[in-house]
Amino acid sequence: MVALGLLLTFLGFLISFLSVALTSSMTGRLVITLIGLAISLFGVIGVLNRAYLKNAIWKR
Amino acid sequence: MKNMLRILVLSLIAFGAVAQTPASSASTRTAPITNSDLKNIDIPKADARAKGDPDGSLTGTAADVSVADSKKGMTIGDVVNQVGQNKVAINFVWTLVAGFLVMFMQAGFAIVETGLCRAKNANHTMMMNFMVYGVGMLAYWLIGFGLQMGGVGGIANLGGAVPLSSEFTINLFGKPFGLFGQHGLFLTQGGTYDVAVMVVFLFQMVFMDTALTIVTGSAAERWKYAAFVASSFIMGAFTYPLFANWAWGGGWLANLGANFGLGKGYCDFAGSGVVHAVGGLSALALAIIVGPRLGKFNRDGKPNAIIGHDIVLVLTGCFILAFGWFGFNPGSTLGASGNGSLRIGSIAVNTMLAGMAGSFGAMFYMWTRYGKPDASMTGNGLLAGLVAITAPSGFVNSISSVIIGLVAGVLVCLSVEFVERKMKVDDPVGAISVHGANGIWGVISVGLFADGKSNYGGSWNGVTGSVTGLFYGDAGQLVAQLIGVCTLIGFVFVLSFALNLAIDAIIGQRVSAKAELEGLDLPEMGALGYPEFELKPGAVRA
Repeated sequence: MVALGLLLTFLGFLISFLSVALTSSMTGRLVITLIGLAISLFGVIGVLNRAYLKNAIWKR
Repeated sequence: MKNMLRILVLSLIAFGAVAQTPASSASTRTAPITNSDLKNIDIPKADARAKGDPDGSLTGTAADVSVADSKKGMTIGDVVNQVGQNKVAINFVWTLVAGFLVMFMQAGFAIVETGLCRAKNANHTMMMNFMVYGVGMLAYWLIGFGLQMGGVGGIANLGGAVPLSSEFTINLFGKPFGLFGQHGLFLTQGGTYDVAVMVVFLFQMVFMDTALTIVTGSAAERWKYAAFVASSFIMGAFTYPLFANWAWGGGWLANLGANFGLGKGYCDFAGSGVVHAVGGLSALALAIIVGPRLGKFNRDGKPNAIIGHDIVLVLTGCFILAFGWFGFNPGSTLGASGNGSLRIGSIAVNTMLAGMAGSFGAMFYMWTRYGKPDASMTGNGLLAGLVAITAPSGFVNSISSVIIGLVAGVLVCLSVEFVERKMKVDDPVGAISVHGANGIWGVISVGLFADGKSNYGGSWNGVTGSVTGLFYGDAGQLVAQLIGVCTLIGFVFVLSFALNLAIDAIIGQRVSAKAELEGLDLPEMGALGYPEFELKPGAVRA
């Protein structure tokens, strides 16, 4: 899950990075970048951090 | 009586207009200065100087202009050279003094973090903040500076810094993407034993160290000292310089404007993203890896407040940081003369206004929500406002600065609650929220509030014109800023996380439970921070 979280977070960056090549429309770039940002945030908060919380020290 | 007054006023206006006329016509009749004119300039006689110069009128005259050939005497060339050297000298001194102010911020960070931690960890927390300066500087001198600035390609305000001219670049989508610099290792490689390069190094080094010291806050009270040294070295050598190159060193983010028409490219005037978000996101990575302190969360996940031991240190540290920020933001013009550098006044005022608004935002939020104006969060609100204004400080007006600071002050409180209650990540000093969340807010706010009035030599990041945000008509600037934010979260965070996972596997990031309960001063440092005090256990409040 940790690896998946890192991959998702990185994927979000790649998507926003590629926005400059995928379209020349400013609105299109904005939307693609926001999608990439959402994926990155989900990777960090929804997947990576949650994986660490499963074995959190305060649950033991 | 009224008529007399009217006549008097009209006469004064007319006199003013007449009095100005000869001056303006004289300026149009100015003849070129020749070398012979220079020979007729009066210079103070030696016997006059020998009597002293109490009003300063005899010091700093034509006698002080360096002459290349004493037989020829002073020439136009000598004067012009002196003017050029004066400009660069002003900018050198400005940038160096600003760098010294930023260096002193280390002291502010040290006492803020130590005050927010428990007394049993005072030596350990201070020692991390003290040695992050040395560890970071070593890494930056050996590797980091070259990677970051080795290809910046000239800094006009500092006389060029010409040897920093080699950027490693790849071609993607038919455009060059700068990835890292190749000159400046050890401050000698690639001809970088150069006066201007030294100024750039000092200024950039203290910025890098600011980013590194942010991390020590989020991992405080349970971070193994050896792991701290390794982690800080790697961050100073690789993580920070890579992103800083992309934003400030001639890398691909800065060129999003020139290559893809996105505003003026990614714009981060003094480092909300480069310094604070990089530090804040690395702090988040560390805090997740090391886990929360013992007693921070109950078995049901409910958080407990672990109270710091000295609020006096905390707020004094916040003031020291606010003072140092006058080096951070105005200093980022890298000069006080030429290329729009006179905007330093506006930048300094924006900085202080945003800090003020941030402290108000946090204080009123806490007062309204919890019934008391919490001191540590008000201090964090000041810092949040300063962090947020760091990127836009050179591009926005004073009203926008106050809005940006106010939002930052509230955002830091919301973010602290989110990080603690929803993510269940333990951040003893609020570094993730102050620097990470507000660093990102600062980057975005450039894309919203930049008013297009700044003019630093007619262009920014190689694109003609002034940086202009969405509210002033350029949506492309916001897209460039958002791509920068995605790079921070999706690349810098991931890189930092992966590198610190490796350190965790090799050295181990977290101290033993026994050492943590005892306090890290003796187990990790071998000496107590307060040896003559008897410390009470159990400073945990539900």
